[in-house]
Amino acid sequence: MSHKPPSILVVDDEPDICANLRDILSEFGYRVDTATSGASALELVDRGNYDVALLDLKMPGMSGVELFREIKSRSSGTVAVIISAYASTSSAEEALQAGAWQILSKPVDIAQVMQCIDEAVNQPLVMLVDDDEDLCDSLWDVLRSQGIRVKLAHNVASANKALQDQDYQVAIVDLKLPGGDGLRLCAEIREMNPGAKTILVTGFRTELEQRAGQYSGVDATCYKPFDVSELLATIRRLTNAQPK
Amino acid sequence: MEQQQLFARYQDLQKYVGWTEEDSGRITAVAALVEPHIAGLIDDFYAEISRHPAAGKVITGGEAQVQRLKGTLRAWLTQLFAGKYDSNYVLARWKVGLRHVEIGLDQVYTNVALSRIRNGLLEVMCHSWRGPLPELALTVKALNRLLDLDLAIIEDAYQYEFLQRQKRIERLVVLGQMASGIAHELRNPLNVVRTSVFFLQNAKNASAEKKNEHLDRIGRQVAVANDVITALSDFAKLPLPNAEPVHVRDLLAEVLSGVDLPKSISPSIACDDQLPAIVGDRRQLAIVFGNLIRNAVDAMPQGGQLCLRTVPDGLCLRVEIQDTGHGISQEDIHRIFEPFFSTKARGLGLGLAITKAIVDNHRGQLLVTSQPGQGTCFTVRLEGSTVA
Repeated sequence: MSHKPPSILVVDDEPDICANLRDILSEFGYRVDTATSGASALELVDRGNYDVALLDLKMPGMSGVELFREIKSRSSGTVAVIISAYASTSSAEEALQAGAWQILSKPVDIAQVMQCIDEAVNQPLVMLVDDDEDLCDSLWDVLRSQGIRVKLAHNVASANKALQDQDYQVAIVDLKLPGGDGLRLCAEIREMNPGAKTILVTGFRTELEQRAGQYSGVDATCYKPFDVSELLATIRRLTNAQPK
Repeated sequence: MEQQQLFARYQDLQKYVGWTEEDSGRITAVAALVEPHIAGLIDDFYAEISRHPAAGKVITGGEAQVQRLKGTLRAWLTQLFAGKYDSNYVLARWKVGLRHVEIGLDQVYTNVALSRIRNGLLEVMCHSWRGPLPELALTVKALNRLLDLDLAIIEDAYQYEFLQRQKRIERLVVLGQMASGIAHELRNPLNVVRTSVFFLQNAKNASAEKKNEHLDRIGRQVAVANDVITALSDFAKLPLPNAEPVHVRDLLAEVLSGVDLPKSISPSIACDDQLPAIVGDRRQLAIVFGNLIRNAVDAMPQGGQLCLRTVPDGLCLRVEIQDTGHGISQEDIHRIFEPFFSTKARGLGLGLAITKAIVDNHRGQLLVTSQPGQGTCFTVRLEGSTVA
C-alpha cells in the first residue's frame, strides 16, 4: 500500500546474519538497517520509522521479546517478526501473546521472510489518537489480532509527528484531546494525508450533535463505550480490507 | 542386581538379625500347624486391600487378577515355611519389590500388608500350639526375623528399581536439554550459511567482492558449527588430569590476562606470596578458572568488581572467584552444574559442567554461594592430597 519501499530493522547478535539480511533484502529493494543488540536497535527505532522489525529471540542483554515490548511502546505501528532457533518455546509463545506478528524458525527461509514482510506491510495502517492509554493498549491488541497495524498517539503533537512520517488509511480520533480538539485534528489529517479516512470518537453524544455542522468532513463517528465489532466493521468498510 | 550378589546380601542381613539353622528348623516345624489356616489368611489379605482405594487401585484386572494374586501369595507363604532359604528364595522376594514399582504400589502398603499377614500367622500359630511355651516364644522370634528379612529384601528391590527408573527419566531430561542447546548453537551458523547461499544464488548484480564476502562468511560459520561438535566431544571424553606442580597465583594472573575484560569491571587478585604450589593439571585448571572468570564477567553487564582470592584451608587451598553481578536465582542454583543448562543467549551450557568434572577429577570441590542482585562467589577447594 505504501509507495515507499518498506523499511526493515534487523536485530541479531550475530553480525554475519545482520550483514546477510541487509545484502539480500536491499537487493530486493527494501530499506534495511541492522543492529546487533537491543540497545542499539532502540536508538535506531527512536530515530527512524520501521514498517517491520525482524528480531532474534535469544540475544544477550535483552531478549527479542523484551526488545519487542520496548519497540511497541516507542513505535506501536512497527510489525515485529520473531526469529527463533527453536521449533517452539515458551518465550516465542510469550512474543505472540505480546502481539508479535509471526515467529519464523532458524535457519530462515528467505522467500518466507520476504513473504512475511510483504504481508505485514499490506495490512491496513490505522492511527489511534486518544489520551486514554488503557483504551489505546486494549484496542491495539484487538486491532492487531485482526491483522490491522496500529499507530498510537496520545495527544495532538504526537499525532502530527506520526502524520509526517507515514501515510495512514484510517485515523480514529477522540473528540477531546490534550493540547487540541479532535475535530480540528481530523481536518488537519485530511489536509496532510488526503487518502486517510477519519473516525471521530466521543463519549459526549450531545456535544457532537450540537456541533453537527462542523463534522461534515468526518467519515464516521463512534460513541464510547463503543461496540468493538462495529468499529472493526467500520474500519474494514473504510479500508476495503477483507477480514483476516 | 545379580542373583548371587543378592544372595550374599541376604546372608549378610541374616547374620545381622541373628538368624540360625535352629530358626530354620523351628519354622519348618510349624508349617503343618499353619497350613489349614493359610486359605483364610489369603482371603483376609485381599479383602482388606479392597477396602483401601490407594492400595486397591493397583488391581486393575478384576476377580481373575485377584485369583492369580492369591496363587502368588500362597506360593510365597509355602516357600516361607519350606525352610530352604537359598538364592532362589531371595530372588523371588526381590521380584516382589520390582513388581511393586511396576504397578505403582505405594511402599507403605507393603509394610501394613505384611504386618497383617504377620499378625494372622502369629495368631493361628499361638492358637494351635500344643508344645512347651518357651519353644513357642523362640518360634515366634524366628518367624519375626524371617518376615523382617523378607521385608528388607522387598524394600531394597523397590528402592533399587525406583532409583533406576528415576535415573532413566533424568537421562531423558538431560537429552532434551542437550537437543535444544545443540539446536540453538547449530542453527545460528546454519542461518548464516543458508542466507549466504540464497544471496549467491539470487543476487543478480553482486560484485565479485560481495560474493567473496559471502563465501568467507559461509566458511567462518561452518567453522563455528564444527567448534560446537568439538566442544561436545571434548566434554564427552575429558582426559584424566596430569599431576604437575601448579602455582595458583601465576595461573590466575595468566588466565585473567587472557580474558577480554570490559573497562567497567575492576579485577583484583589477593594471593599470599608464600603460597605453596599445588599438584594438578595446569591446562585443565586454567579451563576451570577461565570458565569461572568469564561467568563472573558475564554476570556483570553493568560492570562491577571481580575478586580472585586464595585462602589456605588446613591442608587444602581454597580459590575464590567473586563477582558483584546479578547473582543466581534460587531455582537455577541447583541446576547450574547440569550439562546443557544455560541462562545465557549463547553457548551450549557446558562451562560449569566441565569445570565441575575437572575439579572432581582433581578430587577437589566446587562450591557456590550467591545472592540475587548482590553477586556470586565460586570456591574451588583443592584437597589435601593435591597440595605439594
